[in-house]
Amino acid sequence: MDPDAVILPPNHPSLTSTKLMKQQPVQNSARNPGGPPATPKPEDKEHPDFKKRVAQARGPTLSMGYDNAAAYGMPESLFTSLKDIFEALLAHKSNVGVVSPTKFLEVLRRENEMFRSAMHQDAHEFLNLLLNEVVANVEVHSKKLEEEKGMNGHAEKTGFEKALASAMPKATPSTTGLVHELFEGTLTSETKCLTCENVSQRDEAFLDLSVDLDEHSSVTACLRKFSEEEMLCERNKFHCDRCGGLQEAEKRMKIKRLPKILALHLKRFKYTEDLQRLQKLFHRVVYPYHLRLFNTTDDAEDPDRLYELYAVVVHIGGGPYHGHYISIVKTEERGWLLFDDEMVEPVDKSYVQNFFGDRPGLACAYVLFYQETTLEAVKKEQDAESLATAAKAVAEVPKEPIGLGLKTNGFMNGIQHVKSAVTPSSDEDMNGYASLDKAVTEPPTPVKPAISPSEVTALPQLPSTTPNEDIKSKKERLKEEKERKAVAKITARQEERAERERLKNLEVKRKGALKQADSDTKAAIEASRVSKAEEDQRVAVDNGNKDGASAPVPIAPISTGGLSRFRSSSKSFRKPKLFGGSRESSKDEPFAEENGTEATTPTDRSKHRFSSLRKKTSNMKL
Amino acid sequence: MGIQSVLPPPPRYPITQTTTSPNGQTNAQTVLEMSNVLTHPSGPEYQLSVGEGTYILQDNLHLATPPPHPQDAPIVNPNPLATTPTPPKAGIKLTICITSPRKLSPQLYRVNTSSSTRSNLGTYSIKESEKESRSSDETNSNVATSQLPSSSTPGRTPVFGEDNILLTPVAGKEGVKRKKPKTNLVKSNSQFISRVIPHDSLNKRLQEHNSGGIFVFANIDRAYQWLDLSSSTPARAQPLMKILFAKAHMLCHDINSLTKGPNHIDVIMGASTGDIVWFEAYSQKYVRVNKNNIISSSAVSQIRWLPGSENLFLASHMDGSLMVYDKERDDAAFTPESNSAPTPSPKPFDPDLKPLHINKSVNSKNQKANPVASWKISNHRITDFGFSPDSRHLAVVSEDGSLRIINYLKEQLTDLYPSYYGAFNCVCWSPDGKYVLTGGQDDLVSIWSLAERRIVARCPGHHSWVTAVAFDPWRCDNRNYRFGSVGEDRRLLLWDFNVGMLRRPKAASIRKGASVSSNVPVGRSRTESHATSRLRSTSSLDDDGIDADELIEHAIESRTVTAELPPVMSKVIDEHPLSWVGFEEECIITACVEGHVRVWKRPQDGLSP
Repeated sequence: MDPDAVILPPNHPSLTSTKLMKQQPVQNSARNPGGPPATPKPEDKEHPDFKKRVAQARGPTLSMGYDNAAAYGMPESLFTSLKDIFEALLAHKSNVGVVSPTKFLEVLRRENEMFRSAMHQDAHEFLNLLLNEVVANVEVHSKKLEEEKGMNGHAEKTGFEKALASAMPKATPSTTGLVHELFEGTLTSETKCLTCENVSQRDEAFLDLSVDLDEHSSVTACLRKFSEEEMLCERNKFHCDRCGGLQEAEKRMKIKRLPKILALHLKRFKYTEDLQRLQKLFHRVVYPYHLRLFNTTDDAEDPDRLYELYAVVVHIGGGPYHGHYISIVKTEERGWLLFDDEMVEPVDKSYVQNFFGDRPGLACAYVLFYQETTLEAVKKEQDAESLATAAKAVAEVPKEPIGLGLKTNGFMNGIQHVKSAVTPSSDEDMNGYASLDKAVTEPPTPVKPAISPSEVTALPQLPSTTPNEDIKSKKERLKEEKERKAVAKITARQEERAERERLKNLEVKRKGALKQADSDTKAAIEASRVSKAEEDQRVAVDNGNKDGASAPVPIAPISTGGLSRFRSSSKSFRKPKLFGGSRESSKDEPFAEENGTEATTPTDRSKHRFSSLRKKTSNMKL
Repeated sequence: MGIQSVLPPPPRYPITQTTTSPNGQTNAQTVLEMSNVLTHPSGPEYQLSVGEGTYILQDNLHLATPPPHPQDAPIVNPNPLATTPTPPKAGIKLTICITSPRKLSPQLYRVNTSSSTRSNLGTYSIKESEKESRSSDETNSNVATSQLPSSSTPGRTPVFGEDNILLTPVAGKEGVKRKKPKTNLVKSNSQFISRVIPHDSLNKRLQEHNSGGIFVFANIDRAYQWLDLSSSTPARAQPLMKILFAKAHMLCHDINSLTKGPNHIDVIMGASTGDIVWFEAYSQKYVRVNKNNIISSSAVSQIRWLPGSENLFLASHMDGSLMVYDKERDDAAFTPESNSAPTPSPKPFDPDLKPLHINKSVNSKNQKANPVASWKISNHRITDFGFSPDSRHLAVVSEDGSLRIINYLKEQLTDLYPSYYGAFNCVCWSPDGKYVLTGGQDDLVSIWSLAERRIVARCPGHHSWVTAVAFDPWRCDNRNYRFGSVGEDRRLLLWDFNVGMLRRPKAASIRKGASVSSNVPVGRSRTESHATSRLRSTSSLDDDGIDADELIEHAIESRTVTAELPPVMSKVIDEHPLSWVGFEEECIITACVEGHVRVWKRPQDGLSP
């Protein structure tokens, strides 16, 4: 049986209260009728916190103290800390285990004021920040290398430097860097000036596409709409080189070069002029498991390229100012995995399509990642899926969360697009695909008042899920039990043996882990208190009598601190960084302003350059 | 919910008791109503303007969603991440029944009905197809069989299972006295059925029913309604009969067009629980098939009577199997029979290709119990299937994004076509059997030619997934076809295509290498070699238009070479995603997932602009 494992970022702010909640004992018998008759545990096996501790105890806990920046010859940056993580993952032979990306978070906080506060940040903006930072970090380094080379004349390159150099944007004309290679595509925008009828064409690079949403539409339709003709007028006029001056124009954008990974940002947060605030759109937007692009130019290479959905970032929450993000990622070895803070668990393929936006629970897909694939790969995978479902029907095993599939093909982990998810077939592996009727992430039974009142306010009472289970018809339950018993018999024996051994060791480790976890929690609470105080202060300073930005529906002017969704109507993309040609100085730093003091209405700085990718968001159709 | 600057972290699962979102349009709980509501909204937004005139919304019938069964209280799990599997659901599907035999019935596939062109029908359609095939032989690109199923039909269509003596219906009773199910619906104390509510004056309404009037059978949630759309206005809204099931939700249903009559309608229904119910409407009696999931525990996604059969029907289960059941036969636990069961095909079943896994052949010697036959096509959910008008072929679409053409008489898979991308949701045949339409998650309606064995056109126009497609047999003739499609985008689209238009102008020069996929094992190239071999073995053509010896796995054609067809009409016609569309002589009928059945009256002669 696989060891339970989780990603555990100690000191991660979001850990604090989830931990608190999870530490409450839960009477779980109803959720787990006829549970595995294997060695009875003093603690509830289904409990997330228990799983966390077990995972920590069982390990392997990956050594994250890499701190390789010096070895890379680079100053510590987001790039180096991200690289550390992936190197650790790749170096380790186990594909489950505990990873704490503390270093990464530390660097992120150090370099970005906005992540130091309690404010909630936007996942899509974070993606852009990260990608741009990585590009920038590498770029700076390559410049430095070149300078050194110029000085020394014969700078000897280490293997790594060579690799790095090849990953530099514009280092060679053929390779434009890893990030670019994976995410970058080219858009051609045709703009026709309505005054002089002059048609100008321009190619633009993009790392992701932000698409406007319509009610009851599909991702395909959103992309079609993205390439529809658009009028540039009023505040959004086009500067015509021929007439010289701002003119009304018609513009349409098509994809000329298709990216390897298509990151689709669904613009669920829209600024409403009437209400003077952002709103979350709960439109039902369906997304298929596979996709081709209709909006390509005639001369595009491989216009019928097939994409497969491999990751979804889901936003849960009623508004744009707060919420919770989870992601579902398709992995090579484990199929689809749900990443919910520090918990990782396998989910059924159909689960991925639960986030169209129309279901109760306020969970909507926010960023979709499609990767290049081929029909053959898809067919192969379907066959594998068939086998897996057949196997699953035979072996329904009580659920255990599996660890983080370390070698996932997560978006930063290279181009594994043609590889299909090979689903495991052995009994052991099947644990990961056990019936999905007992989700680990179902909220635990109500929180008991062991936490201070001030904290309770932050934690909504989570309704019990037990009635849900009680409703299960007897038949169903009987059937489940039968299946479970059958499987348990097989696994119980081998499990028991291993379990006894392991338990002995575990018990010792667990005590240590428990202490560690407790102190972690305390530290985190302390830290969050401090940051809250800071936050309060700042908000008070910034906004005087205004509502805080994390209030559910603040009727606040755009200057509310911290959330940059506000700032530029989601034109968060630091576009200039992406263009080899039109690169500008790093003066253009939207994130440096996050302190809130300077934040005013969306500045003009990005208007024309950015509007190419972001159709006007202020013209809300409601 | 939230407090200003709360302590981190955020509420993990922001939960409010009201699931209504800020803009109030989503997550709204379905309003539970006890009785149907009939309204007649009017105005330009309730009209459809097409070339032939304006369709006007005549009836907007909102079917009541029944309250949940007391023992099956609504499961509201506020956790959006709950991985509890939800039972499969389907929107409202309708089965239309007109008891009197009609002059222009869609079932007569070779008949063409557009009043203007009716005179020169008959032999013309055959000539046309011959001409078409000759031209394709000349170009040597249309390798597919030149003979259309319709033109080669020698008169009598073989009946499914006729070679198996065990399946021969007992002689003498046929046509004289229709068999009825055993159990009385009203008096039944089955746990399966929760309530049966016949209309107060059911008999009176049935007597008044004009034999040309439209009966509609509709599923909504756990209810099943029998409606009479031709009765007078106040009564029209109320069902002749409403059946409430305890747990099962009916997902699909069909009436037997062979046995239907003024006093007899055989309805077959498939449920989310895998149960199947044979129900005779007039006598209000029923029989359960696959009771307690003895044969299959998988939900039924589509169910249809076998054409020309009084007793047999085909059900597709969501585990990817197709099963033929006999309404008269008892159930027994089913274990797949060995593959070596004799098949009627001239060639033995090739286990390597695994085109169609025959778990039980129709020619099995063991025909004491259901199922009569069982085929497994994949492990992916079958979403829809349809019988060809000549009663020989079956078009099956599934979630793995494939359209399969099966010669079900021979139990052979002949063609496998891939979607452009994503799953297929629906399929239907043209009235003459020459074309198959599919709709799917690529937002496209695709037209496939059976004769040429290729995709004919892709039809973009929907803004979301296509959920249902149907031909309008009253506006089809031998060259021109009208069809309609509905989708999750709440739109009804109407399309016109004709044979000439469908030739791909761009395609002629680039036909080779037109497939998207570089490495398809059995593709077009194979088809070509296949054609030559086929010419020699003409014996295998015998009574069948499509040579069925070999499975052809077709490649995907690039967007750049496949013809595209624009719609002639596109309109949002409902507030909810649509789930069904059908064409009748006087109207178009649509249904949405929330229970709105809308009847759009065809343009009146002289009245239309």
